[in-house]
Amino acid sequence: MRTAVFHQSFRDDERLLDSRTQRAWMAAFLAALFTMPFWGSDYLLAMACIVGIHLVATLGLNVTTGSAGLISLAHAAFMGVGCYTVAWLARHGWPFWLTLPTAGALAALLGVVVGLPSLRVKGLYLAIATLAGHFVLSFVFREWDSVTGGVPGTTIPRASLFGFELRGDRRNFFLIFGCVVLLALAARNLARTHHGRAFVAVRDRDFSAEILGVNLLRTKLAAFAVGAFYAGVAGGLLGYFYGSITPEYFALTLAVFYLAAIIVGGLGSVLGSVLGAVFMTFVPEALRLLAHAGSQWLPGLAGLLLPMGQVVFGLLIIGFLIFEPHGLAAVWARVRRTFHLWPFKT
Amino acid sequence: MTGITRRTLVQSIGAAASLGPFAVGGAAAQAHKGDVIIGASQPITGIFSFAGVAMNHAFNDFVTWKNAAGGVAGRKLRYVSEDSGFKLDQGVAIFKKIMAAEKPSFFFGDSTPWSKAVAQDARASGHVITSSPSLAGALADPAGMPHHFVPGSTYGQLQEILMEYIARSARGAAAKPSIAYVYSDGEFGRDGIPAGKARAQKLGLNIVGEIITRQAGVDVPPEVAKLRRMRPDIVIFQGYLVAPIPEFVRQLREAGLNPQIMATAWALDRGTYEAVGALGTRLTGVSTYRYPHETADSPMMAIIRDQLAKSRPDFKHVSPYYICAWLCGMVYAEIAERCLKANKPLNLANMKAAMESMTAFDTGGLAGLLADLSGHQIASGRIYAYDPDKKTMEPASGWIKA
Repeated sequence: MRTAVFHQSFRDDERLLDSRTQRAWMAAFLAALFTMPFWGSDYLLAMACIVGIHLVATLGLNVTTGSAGLISLAHAAFMGVGCYTVAWLARHGWPFWLTLPTAGALAALLGVVVGLPSLRVKGLYLAIATLAGHFVLSFVFREWDSVTGGVPGTTIPRASLFGFELRGDRRNFFLIFGCVVLLALAARNLARTHHGRAFVAVRDRDFSAEILGVNLLRTKLAAFAVGAFYAGVAGGLLGYFYGSITPEYFALTLAVFYLAAIIVGGLGSVLGSVLGAVFMTFVPEALRLLAHAGSQWLPGLAGLLLPMGQVVFGLLIIGFLIFEPHGLAAVWARVRRTFHLWPFKT
Repeated sequence: MTGITRRTLVQSIGAAASLGPFAVGGAAAQAHKGDVIIGASQPITGIFSFAGVAMNHAFNDFVTWKNAAGGVAGRKLRYVSEDSGFKLDQGVAIFKKIMAAEKPSFFFGDSTPWSKAVAQDARASGHVITSSPSLAGALADPAGMPHHFVPGSTYGQLQEILMEYIARSARGAAAKPSIAYVYSDGEFGRDGIPAGKARAQKLGLNIVGEIITRQAGVDVPPEVAKLRRMRPDIVIFQGYLVAPIPEFVRQLREAGLNPQIMATAWALDRGTYEAVGALGTRLTGVSTYRYPHETADSPMMAIIRDQLAKSRPDFKHVSPYYICAWLCGMVYAEIAERCLKANKPLNLANMKAAMESMTAFDTGGLAGLLADLSGHQIASGRIYAYDPDKKTMEPASGWIKA
């Protein structure tokens, strides 16, 4: 039975994965993940790509809202900024390894602008201020025809690497999950830097943080910029994945989707972002599959259960808020602890 | 005692959930060889479910009827659909799933964004023709969307037909009628407006104003106040299904205005014309499809009613969505039949050529004129107006080619 890890050096203490077991599990997970295009069905890959894109966006919102405590309802609009940036640049021949960081940077810049009210207001007032940002950007998406294609939307050329076109989900998968791994690693490391700790300090009590020497202006705007950067990259990936996009995709409901994902997954943690994005994407799908599977034995069951799917999904979210407010990440931590201490009770 | 413990139950559910997505490939093996497959991503739930359910019924009924009549060149049609919830992510995932598992020759989606999002994959597959209830102009593009067809006149063409009708109706009048547009701020609302305005200008019709609203939850009073200042003779609504048209009409009448109310396509369904009719106003509009009570001029409409009486005796209302989906089924079956009779495999090149050869396709009266699909759409329409005595929409013009 393993009850703790005994670190014998600072280097050991600083490691992201602090035990051999963790490293082995992570290696196995990454191996399974990156070989998925060779063994997964087309459907599984399509769902995985969608989860990957949502995951990048969720990671970003978890920095802004989860770590720094700044509510943002403009996250879907930041994704739109990233998507249209990639669309415009890709049409002008830019490769994906330039379009994606540029999309993130432009979204980050706009994130700073939208985040400016956070210096004066917080909570519900900040939510309304960012909501205004969402509507302004949505208006731009619909009206700036020459760049965004207006209401009918625009097309995005496929990404390519040295002339090798990333066509189809099996190839896009590597682009999406390459970004997921890099950005998840960055988010995890960010939380361990003084910037990440400043985010948490601002979230917990901003006046106290300022007294301790945290620059509120810089920290709050940085939190918005980082979150928007992730959203911009996610938007760019979304563009490459679908190849065509309309402004209707970046609706307010998408921003609410990401807020729900970080709450269900767990605020302020990378694992929470992962679990939240997976839960929000796969649970409605699993309910739908169950309804269809059940209808093979009970004809007409799908007709009854499918409309109930949204209700069940809503109840699940409410259940999490009531019974597990720390999200799926806390459930995961408890499960791990149970295995570590088994057969003793935790 | 069943011998099933909570742990084994949880393990079983976990295993089923884990392996479920991988079982998709196995489903392909179950497909009957030789069937012509129609896939669909239908909005059975969500905000568009009233249309999705009707379209799903229509495809099931069409396939049942067609197979009972001998199928397509001796082969059976098979319809495979799943619920998209009117969500793009879900709709695209279903497309990919059914494409991998069933290799369908035809696929019906739920919206304009869906049609655009699957376009590259559909073309790359080389074996599927797609369509959807969207009448967006960008989708009726044989060069850019060679795999897609639009099952009706585009919103722009419907607006043009409406303007022609207004101009013809005003012949001999002292002054041409003034027109106000009210449309929703989305592709559904905006798509046809430029074409309508251009045709109005050409015909010398006066557009006195435009009001752009949200698709749903419209704050009607301020918009009606604008209409009071414009005092139009005709108000054309575009991009709504039912709401907020009846509320606009009610408030306009309360304000002492009684303009002619016009709409297009999906807004001409029973929910709208009955609600507007109950306020004492006759809804007028342009539709690609005949109404279900017009069985005298449409043998196919009579077949639909017979089929419904057999398969869904409780199904009371045949909506335009039902007719749209049935018509798509007819087009799919005709494309497949032309290819199979010529001993050509059902690939995109052959099916596209077969579709473009359908220059005088008989829709059994569902679309009035013989349909010309060489432009990847069924470009015709007819003006209908509400008859308060019969409580139905009745023809107010002949069929007009767009």
